[in-house]
Amino acid sequence: MTREEAIDRINELLDSTDPETVNTSMRIPKALREAAALAVDELGVATSTTAIAANALRTLLEATVRLEVLELHFEQYPEARPSLADLAIITAEWNDNPLAQRPECIRRYAEEIVQRHPNAEPEDVLLWADAREYTAEQQRESADQPDQRGAA
Amino acid sequence: MNLNRIVLLDNEAVQALRDPAHRKHRSVMGYVLEAAQSAARVVEIGVAVPTTVRVEAGWDRTGPSWAFINRLRIEDIPLGPDLADAAAGIRKRTGASVTDAHLGAAIQTAESDHVTVITSDPGDMRAVAEGKPIQVVAL
Repeated sequence: MTREEAIDRINELLDSTDPETVNTSMRIPKALREAAALAVDELGVATSTTAIAANALRTLLEATVRLEVLELHFEQYPEARPSLADLAIITAEWNDNPLAQRPECIRRYAEEIVQRHPNAEPEDVLLWADAREYTAEQQRESADQPDQRGAA
Repeated sequence: MNLNRIVLLDNEAVQALRDPAHRKHRSVMGYVLEAAQSAARVVEIGVAVPTTVRVEAGWDRTGPSWAFINRLRIEDIPLGPDLADAAAGIRKRTGASVTDAHLGAAIQTAESDHVTVITSDPGDMRAVAEGKPIQVVAL
């Protein structure tokens, strides 16, 4: 089975409306099961621990499929892969970060941070950008203020 | 869909996503990738397309030429009775096209905390949102 065929089959199964269920003998840590039971009984996060497990499994599988499809696409079309700066700009937009209004600034800091940290994440770029902007602002304020000692 | 954020695609966004040679392909891919990575971190961000946009874009889910985009699990937003009523109202008030009115209905009825629309017509999307806060990504 190719990766594409596996993806298509997983997608078919995820889309299935077949109500049939199966019993599984899945072994999970006892503490995790107890935590899930408490979440159901005391926090009402789901109707049952089985529902929690099934929902979590579905969420993970859907995310895995999407990422695998994208990875296959990037293998075929490397130029389609968004850059670290592209993703940092989107992260800024989605988090209402003011730097989203200055994408050229994010691009500059993304270039800087990958020099030191080749595996930097979009969030790292934004933290680095915030830190650099703060430092630059402090330096500007210091330069604007006259030397008080000389004036005394 | 009850998500933290929903990303809606218009016709141009669909075309850009589908075609690796499209000048905006990488731009739209960024949003789809970020949504997928967020979902993997259990931050629920979904990507969806109104079905009338699919019609306009010629996106036939049974067509082999749409295999890549089909595999991305982009959800349909059907034009059911309630959304049809909402879209009809938007079309009457704004003069929007059927697809834009459907997008507007999807925007206005979205249960997500945030709505992002990827579009070639930012002005039209703000018009059909009719005041609902949205983030518009212009292609």
